[in-house]
Amino acid sequence: MLRKEHNDLLTKTGPGTPGGRLFRSYWLPALLAEELPENEGPPVRVKLLSERLLAFRDTQGRYGLIDEFCAHRGVSLWFGRNEESGLRCPYHGWKYDYTGQCVEVPSEPEESGFCTKIKLKSYPLVERGGVLWTYMGPPDQEPPLPEWEFALVPPGHSFVSKRLQESNWLQAMEGGIDSSHVSFLHRGELSSDPLFKGAKGNQYNLRDSRPVFEVVESPGGLYVGARRNAENGHYYWRITQWVMPSFTMIPPRGGHPVHGHFWIPIDDENSWTWSFDYHPVRPLAPDEVEAMREGRGIHVKYQPGTFRPLANKDNDYLIDRAAQKAGRTFSGVAGIAMQDASLQESMGPIVDRTKENLVSTDNGIIMARHRLLRAIKNLMERDVAPPGVDILHQRVRSAALILPPDQAFKDAGKDALSVRPGVAHASV
Amino acid sequence: MRSESTRASSAAESRYRIDAPNFRPRTVKVVALDRPSEVLAARLEQDHWDGAMFLTASAFSARPPVGASFSVQAWLSDLSGRTRHLLEEIAGADQVVMIACAGQSVPAAGIIGEACSLKRVATTALIIGGDAASDAALSRTLAQLRPWALMLVVAGSDAYVADMLRALRA
Ligand code: FES
Ligand SMILES: [Fe+2]
Repeated sequence: MLRKEHNDLLTKTGPGTPGGRLFRSYWLPALLAEELPENEGPPVRVKLLSERLLAFRDTQGRYGLIDEFCAHRGVSLWFGRNEESGLRCPYHGWKYDYTGQCVEVPSEPEESGFCTKIKLKSYPLVERGGVLWTYMGPPDQEPPLPEWEFALVPPGHSFVSKRLQESNWLQAMEGGIDSSHVSFLHRGELSSDPLFKGAKGNQYNLRDSRPVFEVVESPGGLYVGARRNAENGHYYWRITQWVMPSFTMIPPRGGHPVHGHFWIPIDDENSWTWSFDYHPVRPLAPDEVEAMREGRGIHVKYQPGTFRPLANKDNDYLIDRAAQKAGRTFSGVAGIAMQDASLQESMGPIVDRTKENLVSTDNGIIMARHRLLRAIKNLMERDVAPPGVDILHQRVRSAALILPPDQAFKDAGKDALSVRPGVAHASV
Repeated sequence: MRSESTRASSAAESRYRIDAPNFRPRTVKVVALDRPSEVLAARLEQDHWDGAMFLTASAFSARPPVGASFSVQAWLSDLSGRTRHLLEEIAGADQVVMIACAGQSVPAAGIIGEACSLKRVATTALIIGGDAASDAALSRTLAQLRPWALMLVVAGSDAYVADMLRALRA
């Protein structure tokens, strides 16, 4: 259960809200670089944190992320002409550069300098690891560029996708740290998905469907450890990382690429689920990339020409009751990503957390809310930068480990839980 | 043929979620395992709770059992000092939450844990002050709690305890 005031604080991220200020402390993934593939290409409408923006790439290849609407009479600049280092409104010809600065107002004499008085709000937009990142907070508090490992590995080592999630960001993110659902909802995929199957660790998973959990605060967020019995009295640990506000990394399986997510609010009722796969020490194999493109693992198949999943709420996620009955899938929905998204969207755009009945295994979720609320309070009352802004908090890894029974995993697994350049993830 | 009168949720559809209670009160017994946790429990007890009850087993760590004459009934008490019968307390609980501070020795955890598994009551263990404690100190407390908890939480600050109990409707 969460009080309504707290639910509002965490779920509302528009301008001027405390939750919005939290998100505006970070570099956030805004678009895939492939959405702006060429100089002077068509601009892309971007809604982020309930702000309507327009992304474009100018003649020199500079990325701009500016207010979507022309300062003159409010036309959407999505109709604009991307030409000669700027975006020109097709209505009366006002032109803006990549910083939102108006550089031409054709109706006014050039010498009047009128255009210098017009500037659209803009945010920096920077490419890193195939993702265009933006920072929407106060310019004087702009943090260093993000250092998530997946965005720093050589090209070819990573695959990043995004999908529209028709729900608030928080209920989606909470699914990412809710380790206790895996034994139910996704039980079929461990042995069938090409990006999961074959790992030794899977046997521990399948043998022991009632793991014991340990939730441990980390500098940037949480470690969520799930423990199962292994040989000789040792434990098989799967340790998920959550870094504030909404980054998660799922523990690896065998030599497969490791994966994780970001959940980024579009507005209060929609979000982007970003999904990445990478391998720190080798390029992804062609068949792996092929599987990811096909929507296997944590990725999805799309409605052609969109980032909306092919299985969506308008077609009841293509639920297959026969597969559900036969146990081929637990919920009847195919694929890990849509198994999660279908259920999270079914809660309604913003779930009413006053009606929940949480239990002990929900402590990961309870702790994440606790830390987010604490961070919002510290930010609002004392201007304290929230956890996760510091690049040290970003240099983390998930891990799958076999450990002796009496050691704290954050101690025994210390090396495994942070980035070690040139070394693969600790995995079983 | 489809006969459903509502489809997957929209904000408008969400308004029709039935607004009736979907739970009955649960009894959560919170047991402080050491002196510092007992101080915390005493502070929490002052708040209003729905079904939380605060107990302490800190006497156990202060006074280790001597030989066979030790009685397991003698050391569990409520915060006003009244002795409580362990098995009766546990049997009446939906959930037992054990609280320890990192670095403390918590020998009572094993006995309470055993009683919980006997009575099939879910146990949660909270270790407070995990940030500040050394790894060795944390591991010591952890090792005593780990075998008995279905869920173990290492929290940096004691503010988490109240938040967790509220989340569980305690
Ligand atoms: S069983 Fe968890 S939401 Fe229904
Ligand atoms: Fe899931």
